[in-house]
Amino acid sequence: MAISTFDVPVGPQHPALKEPVNFTFTVDGEHVVGVRPRIGYNHRGIEKAAESRTYIQNIYLMERICGICSVAHTTTYVQNVEYVLGKEIPRRAEFYRVLINELNRIHSHLLWLGVAGHEIGFDTLFMYVWRDREHVMDILEMLTGNRVNYAINTIGGVRRDITPEMVGKVRKVMEVVEQRVTYYRKAAAAEPTLLTRVKGIGVLKTEDALKLCAVGPTARASGVKSDVRADDPYAAYDEVPFNLVSYDLCDVLSRVLVRVDETLESVKMVKHCLDHMPAGPVRVKLPRVVPAAESVSRIEAPRGEVIHYLRSNGTDKPERYKVRAPTLGNIPSVCEMLTSKGDYAVRIGDIPIALASIDPCFSCTDRAVLFIDPSRGKEWLWTFEHIRKYAGRV
Amino acid sequence: MSKSTEQAIIDELRTQFSQELLEAKATRNRRVFMEVSPQAYKPVVDYAVRTMGFTHLSTITGLDSAKGFEIMPHLSRSGAVLTVKVTVPREDPTVETITDLIPGAILYEREIHDLVGVVFRGHPGLERLVLHEGWPEGVHPLRKEYKAVQPEPLRKA
Repeated sequence: MAISTFDVPVGPQHPALKEPVNFTFTVDGEHVVGVRPRIGYNHRGIEKAAESRTYIQNIYLMERICGICSVAHTTTYVQNVEYVLGKEIPRRAEFYRVLINELNRIHSHLLWLGVAGHEIGFDTLFMYVWRDREHVMDILEMLTGNRVNYAINTIGGVRRDITPEMVGKVRKVMEVVEQRVTYYRKAAAAEPTLLTRVKGIGVLKTEDALKLCAVGPTARASGVKSDVRADDPYAAYDEVPFNLVSYDLCDVLSRVLVRVDETLESVKMVKHCLDHMPAGPVRVKLPRVVPAAESVSRIEAPRGEVIHYLRSNGTDKPERYKVRAPTLGNIPSVCEMLTSKGDYAVRIGDIPIALASIDPCFSCTDRAVLFIDPSRGKEWLWTFEHIRKYAGRV
Repeated sequence: MSKSTEQAIIDELRTQFSQELLEAKATRNRRVFMEVSPQAYKPVVDYAVRTMGFTHLSTITGLDSAKGFEIMPHLSRSGAVLTVKVTVPREDPTVETITDLIPGAILYEREIHDLVGVVFRGHPGLERLVLHEGWPEGVHPLRKEYKAVQPEPLRKA
């Protein structure tokens, strides 16, 4: 008798992700034997919109491509425009960009670690990690004025400078983060509850990662030593030392280890930036009209390589702006992870964690709350401190 | 004086594909742009991938310009990004697929097929990727003739 298979549609409203995406899984009993992705539910036409906006307006559009690695897209964008203008920006601004990008990476990797814990039913890990992530979010808010879309980059540098008091606060938080992440690192390698759910799951072999052009931690967890920060240094990355973290276990455990180790590397890099940031201005004024040219800009976002292509036409608006975010680059790889082959079997229960292991992107919300009391015609803004006090906790 | 890496890449490809190479330039450190004729497109990508080590495809850009539709795979290796550029005519917007050389190109080619309307010959499944199923056939939003529809204001100002 022929073995019958059937299709299970998962999504667009998804049990594993908070963003709409649809996967059709072909299952044979308990095993997944085929997967067809369907994306585009979040397609907002940003590339087309960029053509009708000025270079300055586009900074704010790029900021909104992603809610988590928002600074990654603006860094790529402003860098691209600076490349075309052929202008150098102050070294201090380049260090500042590294600082914000690394803080962004720490918060993003911690967010992912929490989500990964949640996907395997380890909600204690999720609660602990997200509590620690809040410290980093507070630091980012202090430095940039915003919690999510930082709006720190601008063409020609950054929009705010760091003060000595801020440096002290960042250092303090980095101590806390380092201590906590070191603890999670120990737990990840030893905790049996975690290991059973991540070891040998979602396997992506090195040759497949290369063939399917996987990017970021997904590629590095499959033994591919690629990182734009090392291969194609931008901003001040040529001066900030770091170890390229790579594991060759090729499974979800490998991706956990890569991200946890990378978080520790980022902590070191943040400290290095604070120690070695040169004095000087953080911004130069650059022209708003960009000469006709073309340029490619790449950076390493928390999820992997981001690449932007710019074709300018000599006006204040781009002719064409192309964006490729890392998740699209990793979709062929996640399909490979989710397909049983030979001895390698993918069970339905492993779908959520395997999918989440590439760290697909989803949004984070702001938390400033405006209260209006209509009877008294009063309105006021609550800060996080107020809310904490109101809740009777410290 | 030793040659720069960018110049070395251009020279190597020029020796291999002298006639077919239309324009080559290095715009800055680690960035090479190279325009090739349609018949040389696949051989150049093949040579770059297999012989020169540009094994990573970052993405493919599709662009509507005065000359036609430009297809630009951005290939990279450690320390260099090579953008191969090929122009396909507006009347017959087809080009050979590179998915057999780089399987990672599958989604990027589907995306361009949706948004720019270029057909990749030999692609294993050129289905819709980002556009909705109800989107009209033959309308490609990233073409210059396409203008976004402005919604009617609900209330007149």
